[in-house]
Amino acid sequence: MLRFVRQRVTASLISLVGLIVLVFFLSRLTGDPTNLFLPIDASDQMREQFRQLHGLNDPLIVQFGRYVWDLLHLDFGESIRQARPAINVVLQAFVWTFQLAVITMVLVTLAAVVCGSLAAFNAGGLFDRFVSLLSLIGAAAPDFWVAIVAITLLAVKLSWLPTSGTGTLWHWIMPIGVLFIRPFGLILQVVRGSMLSTLGSAYVKTARAKGVRTKSIIFVHTLRNALLPVITVIGDQAASLLNGAVVVETIFGFPGVGKLMIDSILQRDFNVILAAIMVTALAIFVMNILIDLGYALLDPRIRY
Amino acid sequence: MKQAKQLAGIAFVSMLAWSGAAMAQGKSDVTIVLGEQTDLLEPCMATRSNIGRVILQNISETLTEIDVRNNSTLKPRLATSWEQVDPTTWRFHLRQNVTFSDGSTFDAEDVKHSIERSMSSKITCETSRYFGDTKITPSVVDDHTIDIKTDPAEPVLPLLMSLLTIVPSETPVEFTRNPIGTGPYKLAEWTPGQRIVLTQRDGYWGDKPAVAKATYVFRSDSAVRAAMVKTGEADIAPAISAEDATDKSIDFSYPNSETLYIRPDDSMPPLNDKRVRKALNMAIDRQSFIGSLLPEGTEIATTVVPSTTAGVPKDLKPFPYDPEGAKKLLAEAKADGVPVDTKLELVGRTNLFPNVTEVMEATLGMLKDAGFNVDLKMHEVAEFEGIYSKPFQKGRAPQLVAAQHDNARGDPVFSMFWKYASDGRQSTLSDPHVDDLIKQATAATGDKRNQLWSELFTYLHDDVVADVQLFHMVSFARISPKLDYKPSIALNGQLQLSEIKFK
Repeated sequence: MLRFVRQRVTASLISLVGLIVLVFFLSRLTGDPTNLFLPIDASDQMREQFRQLHGLNDPLIVQFGRYVWDLLHLDFGESIRQARPAINVVLQAFVWTFQLAVITMVLVTLAAVVCGSLAAFNAGGLFDRFVSLLSLIGAAAPDFWVAIVAITLLAVKLSWLPTSGTGTLWHWIMPIGVLFIRPFGLILQVVRGSMLSTLGSAYVKTARAKGVRTKSIIFVHTLRNALLPVITVIGDQAASLLNGAVVVETIFGFPGVGKLMIDSILQRDFNVILAAIMVTALAIFVMNILIDLGYALLDPRIRY
Repeated sequence: MKQAKQLAGIAFVSMLAWSGAAMAQGKSDVTIVLGEQTDLLEPCMATRSNIGRVILQNISETLTEIDVRNNSTLKPRLATSWEQVDPTTWRFHLRQNVTFSDGSTFDAEDVKHSIERSMSSKITCETSRYFGDTKITPSVVDDHTIDIKTDPAEPVLPLLMSLLTIVPSETPVEFTRNPIGTGPYKLAEWTPGQRIVLTQRDGYWGDKPAVAKATYVFRSDSAVRAAMVKTGEADIAPAISAEDATDKSIDFSYPNSETLYIRPDDSMPPLNDKRVRKALNMAIDRQSFIGSLLPEGTEIATTVVPSTTAGVPKDLKPFPYDPEGAKKLLAEAKADGVPVDTKLELVGRTNLFPNVTEVMEATLGMLKDAGFNVDLKMHEVAEFEGIYSKPFQKGRAPQLVAAQHDNARGDPVFSMFWKYASDGRQSTLSDPHVDDLIKQATAATGDKRNQLWSELFTYLHDDVVADVQLFHMVSFARISPKLDYKPSIALNGQLQLSEIKFK
């Protein structure tokens, strides 16, 4: 087990280094932040001074060497736009994204597993049709539209919830609700499909023949075996949430890492782009290792 | 059952928390919802609109101020009066009994330090760009008098001082995140990405404003900003899109000091032919945009600066919409060997203003109808800047660049060199008479100055036909009915809390 973790950590670190090199050079290919930071009628002297101050005049390889050297000292550089350490900017945003992703995924997983299992048990029944329809609508509805409709209805017309922002528990309901819809539909379908095939297997039939109670057939015998492919999908969905939910962050004014990344790319704030990618990549690596360990936990046949 | 009761209890308490938050705002507090994050609160960057709207004249004040509600004249702020001592020196008499929010007293040393800090090569302050290559040397005469020497002479120095914010002389020469100023408010809280809170401070030299506390929040979506004012979560949304401005009782349009124009590449055939540029002007039906793709209140432009700017002639007539006339001019040019069939590139910028893509497509259609061989290319901001500004790309197609220019400063000096002089960064013109007029007008004062600017505008529009002036644009602000506040052209770059009253 420890050996497995060690191997995965090493592999992840190599990927991370590759990612840093790639993003460093690719982002610099997109242009110079000078023209974006300075007003359009800034003089050549001002531009030169700006490039000098931020080391943009040096050859790329020198800039890269300096970046790596600083990184080894855990210095992620300064944000050009915000004049403060890039890592602070990113961590501050990542905390919001992390909370949003974790809460959403916990709720989605619980709801999808329960609804999907019940739907599979009564395949073709009323409940099955209802949740299937619901999940298809959910998977098809564009989230920006759902978000705006939710604000118009729940905040403006009914005044039940605040339009946007952070502060109280109520501010979280709409963003989580909107984020919930799509992964819920997807995971529910995977749970349902996986449960259906497991329910058809011989050992379940045996359990039924032995007179085991329905509840324990579904949630003890079948679900555990059916969960393996589900976990893969959950991991995939969680990874995309950890990368930031740009639409939800933009509309609800949630200060998360997704919008930060987009803004930093548009403004060519290289240090923030790199720090954001490192932090999210690290989170995703950790999550993937946990998922692999989860497999072993669920299925004793899997040994590392 | 017990658990259910507990849950209900928690839900109830949380509900109170939300309604509490909505009600917590005191009677003299306002919440302002901005579209763009404020990433710096640096006084020497206050000319940038997302910073200026928070700190300019609220925290950081300037020596002089443009009175936008009174014909853009200059009025005193931290300076009580000023005069020209000799052609290259201006003397400013400073207001007495003024203190900074950190308690220190405002004097001539602070002004000297603020000027030197803004011009320093150790930080890239935006203010310094307005001074161009002019060398500024401040010297303290006494505590409340300062002489500012310029090289060369700067006739509009008092106007330029309306852009330079004053910081205490102890402020280090690096970007600060804790602005200290002489204004009526001080920074009370700043949670990056979420909110900025300003509170009124004691000991302000001027009248006590009605607003005690202002909270700034940020939402990029215009519909959400509009909804926030509607639900009472915010009181002012300085910029919402025309589509969201659906309630006439709370939505107000105001000129945003931006002018939309198309810059033909005057250095390249076929656009170096005046008849072709005139044909461009006659091919566009400007009136048809207003009230359809652009909101009512949009004004047809003849100059690159708003019509309230000094020196803008009142008698310039926009080119008439005459596609047949345009075709005739093109045919004439073609007969003289001008390659009018060359493929032109109409260059636009995404997200420049609401409906920009539709406006560009309609313009493209009109140009094609008049016989131009033209394609449209939309670019994001960084790519666009590379096309709009010098050095121009080699091997480019003849371009028609649709750009917006912002000048709310009341004088054309902030525009004309950049846009029209041979060395101007966004100029494709190379006309000695234009260069000469810009030079003369920049150095002149009073009526002579206005007359020279006026001559330049007329020459550019009627004789050179330098570009295709389109519109002076408007924005919409949504203002809570509880406030007594009307937006003005200044709202594009600042939002003075002291102008806000309660009904």
